Amino acid sequence: MTPNLDTKLSRSRARVFLALIADTFQEARARWLFWGLFGLSTLLICIFLFVMRIDLVAGAVSFMGIESTSRRIWDIRKFVNVSYSWVSVVLYTWGTFLAIFASSGLIPSVLEPGRISLLLSKPMTRTTLLMGRYMGNVLIVGANDLYLIGSIWIIIGLKTGIWEPRFLLAIPISLFIFAVLLCVVVLLGVISESAALSVMVSVSLMLISSILAQHQIVVKLLDSEWSRNLWLTLYWIVPKFFDLGAAMRQIILFDREANWIVPVWTSSIFGIVVLWRALYLFRRRDY
Amino acid sequence: MAQDYAIEAVGLEKIYRPRFRGRSIKAIADLTLRVPVGVKFGLLGANGAGKTTFVKTLLGAVNQSAGSATLFGRDTREAEARRPVGYLPENHRFPTYFTGTGMLDFYAALSGLESRERRRRIPALLESVGLKDWGDVRIKKYSKGMLQRLGLAQALIHRPRLLILDEPTDGVDPVGRRDIREALNALTDTGVTVFINSHLLSEVETFCEYVAILNRGELALEGKMSHLLAGRGYRIAATNVPEQAFEGIRLAGGAVVEGGGNLGSDLEIRIATREEANAVIDRIRAAGGFIESVVATTSSLEDVFIRTTEAEKAA
Repeated sequence: MTPNLDTKLSRSRARVFLALIADTFQEARARWLFWGLFGLSTLLICIFLFVMRIDLVAGAVSFMGIESTSRRIWDIRKFVNVSYSWVSVVLYTWGTFLAIFASSGLIPSVLEPGRISLLLSKPMTRTTLLMGRYMGNVLIVGANDLYLIGSIWIIIGLKTGIWEPRFLLAIPISLFIFAVLLCVVVLLGVISESAALSVMVSVSLMLISSILAQHQIVVKLLDSEWSRNLWLTLYWIVPKFFDLGAAMRQIILFDREANWIVPVWTSSIFGIVVLWRALYLFRRRDY
Repeated sequence: MAQDYAIEAVGLEKIYRPRFRGRSIKAIADLTLRVPVGVKFGLLGANGAGKTTFVKTLLGAVNQSAGSATLFGRDTREAEARRPVGYLPENHRFPTYFTGTGMLDFYAALSGLESRERRRRIPALLESVGLKDWGDVRIKKYSKGMLQRLGLAQALIHRPRLLILDEPTDGVDPVGRRDIREALNALTDTGVTVFINSHLLSEVETFCEYVAILNRGELALEGKMSHLLAGRGYRIAATNVPEQAFEGIRLAGGAVVEGGGNLGSDLEIRIATREEANAVIDRIRAAGGFIESVVATTSSLEDVFIRTTEAEKAA
């Protein structure tokens, strides 16, 4: 293939990919999902603004009864950091739930008969089609995370004068766990073409992950070896929604014990395997 | 390299296997079909004959079980094979959040057209399908005929070399049908191959130069339309033919004998070939009957279709 033709083809593929992403945004807008997601985020921001009308710094001082100036600054900073860490967990959980609900319908909709056959007749691979849709979803949720978490960070910063950049870690971490759970949505979308089933399973995985994460306690309570092994196996397989949230909180609190590497790589492997399976099945299906 | 065939399927087979339990269904069986470049080709078949499966196999929506299929010499399993193809599916469901212009822009982008080219092509295409003033209207407000015309514009947006149309005039009024036919005729004049999958036999008969009939996933008949329709037989009206001669007339050439014919005759006899017609005439005259008229008849595509599918059924 000549370099010129190669460049032309690459540009054409990029154009196709961008068109698929833009289409996902357009559909999300038309179905009010986009506005719903951003509307609810705005509502949360407004609630937060209302709460912040209570003077956090003065409130903290009065609550803790701090007198000495040097100690006072240190304790206020600690108090704000603790607040940041808990707010990040709330936003992480809220944002992921909302994102799953918002994106669940956007995969099955593209598989509707009469729509999919026309899409497949275009000069693009099935992988491109599904990945374009996947990326479109990730970018919508990424934009929402940026808006929601960024706004709250600005509000807290303006109110307290303490700008904690670690709080912004909630954006990539929320987006990462959503990207992993979206792989499940994609797989179930391809298999069942049902948005409801995708939501049920993804949300269940979030909850199950929170239960499985208590393995250190549960394993001690389980009496048989096989049940302990089963628990631990499931813990390692299921994406670590809970562990990542906990790690994020610890990082914001400057906790050196924070373990984010293991939850990230195990969840990544889960996501990659599930997405690979979805792509494999999608390539093999007849429409 | 110049290709002789826009579509070439050799020994193509598609078996739908159930996901869990149940019977496998052979939708296409050992299908070999060649569509020359630049022709107007019609694919016919009863419901469930395998037409749509065949088209979807060509377009990569259905994975073939065996055999091979190519578009301009390129394996249909390659995405690039579909670049020169424009497709209008039956029962299409265009996303209703698009405007007419938006929809064309999206599908044109998927076909790899640059944005400048898209901006230039879309207004002209909308005008050519009679939707000039509808470009900015959401397509959920479009009538069925308008959607069909927009679908046709979508199939043409990237100047395809092969147009595959599934029921292209479905829901279109007679004037619109004529317009579509004229537009397609103009396209074939520029060397575009048009492949139509339709139930409307009269339309295929009017438009297509070549036709193939699928029956239960197998190719039942294929050929040039003019060959299939012309010189298909003769009709003889005769009187005063004794009943005992009927059997001889049948034997003379497999002629069909009907009692109570028209044109003032007692009999109307339909015969397939000239030789058989002459033999039948000899028999009638030898039996003392009178020939009232001999008319060369042409079949309609409907006749050909029914004859072919029923013969297959009987076989």
